[in-house]
Amino acid sequence: MSGLRDKLLRLRSSQTAQEERQAGLVSQPEVEAVQAQKPLEEAVQAGPPAAPSESPEETLSPEWEEMGVRIVQSTEGAFLVRESRYPLMHRHGIHELTELAEVQHSLDSFRKPENADPGYANLLFLDLETTGLGVGAGNVPFMVGLAYAQDESFIVEQMLIRHPAEERAMIGYLSNLLPSFTHLVTYNGRTFDWPVLYNRFILHGFRTFQWEPIHIDLLHPSRSVWRNTLVSCKLSHVEEERLGITRKDDVPGSLAPAIYFQFLADGKAAPLLGVFEHNEIDMLSLAALAIRFGHLLGGNLGKGPVPMPQEVEELLRTGLWLEKMGKTELAEPLFAAVAEHPRPTRKCLCMLAERDKKCGNWQRAVILWQKAVEDAGSRAGRHDYEAHIELAMYYEHKTKQLDEALVLAEEAYEIAQRRLAGLRLQGKRRAELELLRKRIERLQKKLIKYSS
Amino acid sequence: MFRKKSLAEVINDLRSNENIVHWHEIEPQEARYAPIPESVDTRIKAALAKRGIEQLYSHQYSAYQAVAKGENIVAVTPTASGKTMCYNLPVLQAIAADDTSRALYLFPTKALSQDQKSELNEIIDEMGIDIKSFTYDGDTAPTIRQIVRKAGHIVITNPDMLHSGILPHHTKWVSLFENLKYIVIDELHTYRGVFGSHVANVLRRLKRICKFYGSNPTFICTSATIANPKELAEHLTGKPMRLIDDNGAPRGRKHFVFYNPPIVNKALNIRKSASVEVNHLATDFLKNKIQTIVFARSRVRVEIILSHLQELVKNQLGSKSIRGYRGGYLPNQRREIEKGLRAGEILGVVSTNALELGVDIGQLQVCVMTGYPGSVASTWQQAGRAGRRHGEALIVMVASSTPIDQYIVNNPDYFFDRNPESARINPENLIILVDHLRCAAYELPFKETEEFGTLDITDIMEYMVEERILHKNGDTFYWANQSFPANTISLRSASQENVVIVDQSNVANVKIIGEMDRFSAMTLLHDEAIYLHEGVQFQVEKLDWEHKKAYVREVDVEYYTDANLAVQLKVLEIDKTNARKKTALNYGDVTINAIPTIFKKIKLTTGENIGYGPINLPEEELHTSAAWVELREVDSDIGIKTLEQLLLGIANVLRHIVPVMVMCDRSDIHVVSQIKAAHTGHPTVFLYDHYPGGIGLAEDVYKRFDEIKEAAKNLIGKCLCEDGCPACIGTEIIGINGKRRSMRLLEQF
Repeated sequence: MSGLRDKLLRLRSSQTAQEERQAGLVSQPEVEAVQAQKPLEEAVQAGPPAAPSESPEETLSPEWEEMGVRIVQSTEGAFLVRESRYPLMHRHGIHELTELAEVQHSLDSFRKPENADPGYANLLFLDLETTGLGVGAGNVPFMVGLAYAQDESFIVEQMLIRHPAEERAMIGYLSNLLPSFTHLVTYNGRTFDWPVLYNRFILHGFRTFQWEPIHIDLLHPSRSVWRNTLVSCKLSHVEEERLGITRKDDVPGSLAPAIYFQFLADGKAAPLLGVFEHNEIDMLSLAALAIRFGHLLGGNLGKGPVPMPQEVEELLRTGLWLEKMGKTELAEPLFAAVAEHPRPTRKCLCMLAERDKKCGNWQRAVILWQKAVEDAGSRAGRHDYEAHIELAMYYEHKTKQLDEALVLAEEAYEIAQRRLAGLRLQGKRRAELELLRKRIERLQKKLIKYSS
Repeated sequence: MFRKKSLAEVINDLRSNENIVHWHEIEPQEARYAPIPESVDTRIKAALAKRGIEQLYSHQYSAYQAVAKGENIVAVTPTASGKTMCYNLPVLQAIAADDTSRALYLFPTKALSQDQKSELNEIIDEMGIDIKSFTYDGDTAPTIRQIVRKAGHIVITNPDMLHSGILPHHTKWVSLFENLKYIVIDELHTYRGVFGSHVANVLRRLKRICKFYGSNPTFICTSATIANPKELAEHLTGKPMRLIDDNGAPRGRKHFVFYNPPIVNKALNIRKSASVEVNHLATDFLKNKIQTIVFARSRVRVEIILSHLQELVKNQLGSKSIRGYRGGYLPNQRREIEKGLRAGEILGVVSTNALELGVDIGQLQVCVMTGYPGSVASTWQQAGRAGRRHGEALIVMVASSTPIDQYIVNNPDYFFDRNPESARINPENLIILVDHLRCAAYELPFKETEEFGTLDITDIMEYMVEERILHKNGDTFYWANQSFPANTISLRSASQENVVIVDQSNVANVKIIGEMDRFSAMTLLHDEAIYLHEGVQFQVEKLDWEHKKAYVREVDVEYYTDANLAVQLKVLEIDKTNARKKTALNYGDVTINAIPTIFKKIKLTTGENIGYGPINLPEEELHTSAAWVELREVDSDIGIKTLEQLLLGIANVLRHIVPVMVMCDRSDIHVVSQIKAAHTGHPTVFLYDHYPGGIGLAEDVYKRFDEIKEAAKNLIGKCLCEDGCPACIGTEIIGINGKRRSMRLLEQF
């Protein structure tokens, strides 16, 4: 049957094919023994065929043992586990793992209305290393990192499959393990880790597997709080900037697939240690980040290891996030701090004023807008414009100070013209400007009417 | 005072028109009915009764009964014969009987999916059963995608979305794949050539996933009239099919006439423009308030004819009563036009072949085609737009000056007596097959013993293991690569690496206007080439070969460019040979090495050469299948120089005639003549598939060579020119009695 291969090579590129053949890179296909045909679904569910070396008391080579890896056997096959135990006193960056117990009840704010209250919290941290991107059926989690607290330890349990046929045994193991936890904590797990893992349950025929934990995806609060303060909300960046964690000789996660494929090809285990270690630190950082948000929700901002944010935007966004999580009483002091901040930005003033307007706190909203409008110099931008408009609306409709309103509206018009100079006026911009022009006209008419 | 003529009068007037070269009448047919089967749910019966449907047409009945027996079917029906009932009835019945049943509908385009959804939902509403049907394509909002996946009874999509959006994510579609009862493939005839070969492989993947989830769906296909619907359906789906072709829909009398515009330049055999003639004819119909559809071959042509017609009749009719219809119009706009046509508010429509597909616009009275649509099947589909169930209809095909058009109007028997073309696919094309094996392995691991099509694929799988795309463990091949294979594989483009054409006429709005395969790009998109796109001239400013981009700018020049391509053809393997008296016909694998040399600038009006330039591009190599005829003995009275010219002329004729005979685009099959073929030294004419690995066109040429030969002789013989024109053997061989000698030479082929 080498005809097809030759033809394929010829079609792809005859030149490369020839070179390869000359270099002896393309070996002659071996004649495979004919095997009994099994329908696919049966075969996939039947698990990997037992390779001759996989006797029940299979021992691992020293290479693996040096990494702290042991073998797990089940009726469905074998896979590897690397377990690392940390005492709860272990410090990872600025946080200590003992703090996890302190903040656990605060994390209950993450519970959605549709989640039943489990009555207790048993947190599972999860992070996958996969063979590709996306959540398609061909993206395989070759390493599943789990972490949880047990007795006086924090246990990081990392599973590894030595080849794709071991996956079924690993998924079987997970199907028993996962339901004992009430909470799942991930970083971007809602759109990636969990859907990818869930696919595997379906692919391996665990159709009845059911586990509906309270899912805490820490990427979401991280984005809410650090969106503009940090250059990136990647876990490795957040941990370095906010959790005091520095990694040494870290193998970046993006290299993990290539390392694994190399292992599949040559069977050399040593390079996988870097992937294990990277994943292990991810697990610890995940715990540290959960501690951080737990502290925030527990009212510990500015106390103990959690410093008060330096930048006004982080301060404000932390407040807005706490409010969204139902902790308005914790948010209020932060808002007050923003309003009193010696170096506020117009953007933050406007954001907070917008929030105040929505919940009826007109008094502070007006003060904030006025602050934003002050010293409107030549560098006036979007937020300055916004503050002008908001104030003009307030004076026109709430306090009926029409002349004040007109001055602000006219200033807003000037700002807009300066900002939009040289830009094409289309769609939204045009409509906005048109609306402003109408406002000015209306105010002028009203003023004339009232003065006469 | 203008008195409106009736259609009958208009037809009568036309009979004396001297430009009509052929008049063909199609007899009317009475409706044939069958009762709605007992087994149909009463709610469905009631919904049908509300629409005035108390019985079924015979073909709808046969379709229902065959599907009920579990047979896969392909229903062949002309336009507007109620074909959607052939699949909607069994599908709705299955869901009415068992709420967990699921069906997947495939349409070649998104627009057709939308139409189908509205039609389906109307019936469902009247049935009063909670059946959810959704379209699922690139336009589906992310918020409702999950609902479609979990709860959609009928999911309406297209092959592209199935390929890259559904199959690779099959784990999210468990409820669909576990319960899939029917797969509906509408417009089956559009799945041919490269596209069809891809789709056949997508269906193999679909069946594989169904098997994994334990379902075994029945296929229900519908097709316009082609020569081999059953064969195509079986080839595409890999399932035995029952052909349903007992069309029971009624139809009135049809007049099908060929109109050949008068000659304006005798020497060059140039005729009056088809568009101008179409304008006159259509104006006459429209002024008499006869509902008319005009087909044109390009979008630009549609717009030109449209503006002419609107201008010509603006005093009699409002401009809103004549509309254009083509791809690029917004969906809402198209819906409005379709509705206007059905209601009779719109009197005339000018369309590209976009209206050839099953969009419901009701039935019009007259159809005018600007030029031959390119295939017999396509012509019948366009013609089907005219013809009500009762009363007469008129179809006028106005020929252009091109050889194919002239051949058709001068050989009406060719058109009316012959079956429409066969649609061919080659799912075993190695390039295509390997692409889909990658996708399939991504979706589910492969067992060594597993089948995928007709070839033994073990060898290919082993190859992919070596390439580190797959990993083999025990008897199973697993996907082991970082990529998402479906994203890099397009079902519609001819070869993997196309050259993208970037229009930078407007610096602020640079846009991509098209793409072209690498091989053609060498001669059509080289630096300084004049590239015609929808009738607009562009000049190529830079061909970035490395990044496969051609940057063009709109120009208005008096010339076109013609590149010389030095082609070397090597025969790798001869699969079949048919020796004749003086010649031999062969089929096999060839390698083509092509390198462009220079290009000429040729003046549009006179055809004179006004300049040239070099082309600097690397050599390209293509492996494909070819059919070739070699002359083992040549009459001694033909000199070598003359023979070379005659072969060139014959190649020119074949270039015109073969795409018509084997139903493909002109660029899909190439013709090359050689006075001394490398492998034999004999004078030879090669015809090869212009796609790596071939898609079965050359094989068809081999099988039907005698028919093609006759058609070529016929074209030369009936051409009105004196001794060669661009419409037949070309203009470069005047003075050697080329036409007669070419025909004699062809005789020996």
